Amino acid sequence: MIKKYKILQFGFGRYGEQIARNLALEGHQVFIADSSKEALKSASKEGFEDLFVVDLENDAQLTDLVLDYGFDYIFCAYDDEEKNIYLTITFKALFRNLKIIAICESKETERKLKLAGAHYVIDTMVAAANRLYYILEKPAVAEAIDKILFKDRSIIFEEIEIPKNSFLDGVNLKDTAFSKKYRVIVIGLVDKELGNKFIFVTRGINHKIDAGDILVVIGKKEDVYRFKKLLGVVV
Amino acid sequence: MRIAQYIVDFAFLLDNSLRYQRIKRFFRNLLENDDYPYKRYFDYFMIFLILSSVVIIIEEVKTPIAKWLYFYDVYFVTAVFIIEYLLRLWVYNDVHKIIITEYEESLFLEREFDIKKVCKEILKKKLEYIFSPLALIDLLAILPSYREFRILRIFVLFRVFKLLRYSQNITHFFQVLAAKKLELSTLLVLVAFTILVSGISIYVFEERTNPNITTLYDAFYWALVTISTVGYGDIAPTTHEGRAITMIIILVGVGLISFSTSIIVSAFSEKLTEIRENRIIHSARKLESYYIICGFTNMARLLAKRLKREGVDFLIIDYDIEAVNKALSLGYLAICEDATQSEAFKQINFNNVKAVMVLTNSDMHNIYICLNVRSFSKECFIISRAVDYNSHKKLKLAGANYIISPYVTAGFFAAKVINEPIAIEAINDILIARKNALCEQVEVIRGSFLDGIKIKDVNFDKFKLILLGIVRINADAPTEELRRKFYFNPDEQEELRVGDILIVMGYSISIAHFKSQVVESSLHYDKKI
Repeated sequence: MIKKYKILQFGFGRYGEQIARNLALEGHQVFIADSSKEALKSASKEGFEDLFVVDLENDAQLTDLVLDYGFDYIFCAYDDEEKNIYLTITFKALFRNLKIIAICESKETERKLKLAGAHYVIDTMVAAANRLYYILEKPAVAEAIDKILFKDRSIIFEEIEIPKNSFLDGVNLKDTAFSKKYRVIVIGLVDKELGNKFIFVTRGINHKIDAGDILVVIGKKEDVYRFKKLLGVVV
Repeated sequence: MRIAQYIVDFAFLLDNSLRYQRIKRFFRNLLENDDYPYKRYFDYFMIFLILSSVVIIIEEVKTPIAKWLYFYDVYFVTAVFIIEYLLRLWVYNDVHKIIITEYEESLFLEREFDIKKVCKEILKKKLEYIFSPLALIDLLAILPSYREFRILRIFVLFRVFKLLRYSQNITHFFQVLAAKKLELSTLLVLVAFTILVSGISIYVFEERTNPNITTLYDAFYWALVTISTVGYGDIAPTTHEGRAITMIIILVGVGLISFSTSIIVSAFSEKLTEIRENRIIHSARKLESYYIICGFTNMARLLAKRLKREGVDFLIIDYDIEAVNKALSLGYLAICEDATQSEAFKQINFNNVKAVMVLTNSDMHNIYICLNVRSFSKECFIISRAVDYNSHKKLKLAGANYIISPYVTAGFFAAKVINEPIAIEAINDILIARKNALCEQVEVIRGSFLDGIKIKDVNFDKFKLILLGIVRINADAPTEELRRKFYFNPDEQEELRVGDILIVMGYSISIAHFKSQVVESSLHYDKKI
């Protein structure tokens, strides 16, 4: 099913705490590194066991850490944006291919992090500010998004890659009533024929689904699971 | 005794008459309330009258004017001015309230109702108005109509002064000068003193030798012309002593002029921010509904951008002048005030405020601001940002209705991004409304084609929309949070009811089309009935 990764998270501040908790909830193995012992103490209180005291400027120590454990992802989650940029650059210099995710609070830092080579950058303020907008102007939408994204753990969204020779391979998107048949809502897909861009289904273009395309679906946990089983993604 | 009784009865009658109150309120708004929408038209009308009458009087100096213009000026304009003057006198205060207060007081103290005292009180109040500067100008502006007295024509100037009433800009100018009253009066005394000394001395030295200086009046005239560095040269000193005095007062004059210039300039620069803020608050008050954002932080910036794009009005309050300038340069309404102080909200009418967003970076400030806003309005919806998780409870206590924490949202997105980067990106697109993909709420209106039909019969595909779910309002629920319930991907057989809110996803055009269809179909229903 969902792949579990080994993740090294730097920083256990206000963001770090929330991120680590959510990562653990997803089932990932979270390792936490911080230069402050205070932060690590609160991390251990939260139940995290793999903790490292690190010196951000000690390259040898960071190299050893990654080599010893073989992390899949590095998460730069310091509250301080500058530290995140610094860490991203450091790791890019040490390991070219390591995947790095970083958080930031402004467009300016996002640009810098991308330049530094971060794999994915999360602008925390954008998400919060736009949510605020929905709460103000469209409370029902806010409620729905909240429910789908945060509150109701039984509703999940997932991206599903279409396997070869499955029953959807070669089928037109419009011809399948996903909602009626499988009780999942398809919001869009990445059509490999049209490039690597995500396209919303509501665009109105009828796509031919091929193996390798990625569908993004929302649904109840069990419905999504059943759907994936039918497709042969999971056994 | 009898008359007193009648007066009191009449006062009570007025006090109880809704119609009287309404009429009086209307005139009060029209004359005095800057926020009253029709006052502007009244002002324009008065400005027109003033300007036309001034033009007529100027024209009359050289050529005889047409008869109808004469009648217009003498009767119509003057009549309007007189009516306006009387109305202002009337709405200045409530006479019947004075009578009632005095009557109730006399009942309470068990003494005789003193009609003389009441009259004195009323007269005092009305005289207070009559002798206020603007009222004097109004009165004098009526006078030029009596053309028999040529001298009265000078009062046409007062008609120009009357413009003060109808133009905020000019009023601001006088406010600025009034703020520097002390400095300006010092300057005036200094000028008067210098003129006195130099005028007397030139008179003493040159009265006999200089044919141009024959009276003390000439001397003072010369002193003022010289001291102001105007120097016409019609009167010039001829003696050595006179020239010495001239040299001295020219030097003093240069000093005085630079002094007065600096006073006025500094007064303006000091008052400028205040005036600008007044204007912004003024324009905010004209909005029918708007949001207030406290703290122009990063998050506020993003929210403001979104609100601006959606065409929603808002006012930003920040205590950092640089942040305010930044907001102003982006074209937002912003004022520099400390939102933790009650001063900041004194001028704001909370009936028009849809919600207050408290978005500073400090929990302590946020809590203060929440409390502060609550002290002004009990009902106003407050959303506050929480930095520390522990502050949630405190903010709720301080009166925040909703608490938003960027950390929680960030935590969620961060966790999902590893396995579902595309899905997260898609959700983000919807949230930010990038790429035109939107999530929108559509209410089921009575009589619209949605009312009472099953979900499977709404052809969402045709509208190019996806139905994510419906929000159903349960009015019986005990708390606000339980009242709205979201049903994700409801069953096809589910029937839509009036008041349900459909959560649909799609492109902005599709959504707009769908919404207009819903509204249109409900209109037909209304007609049928």
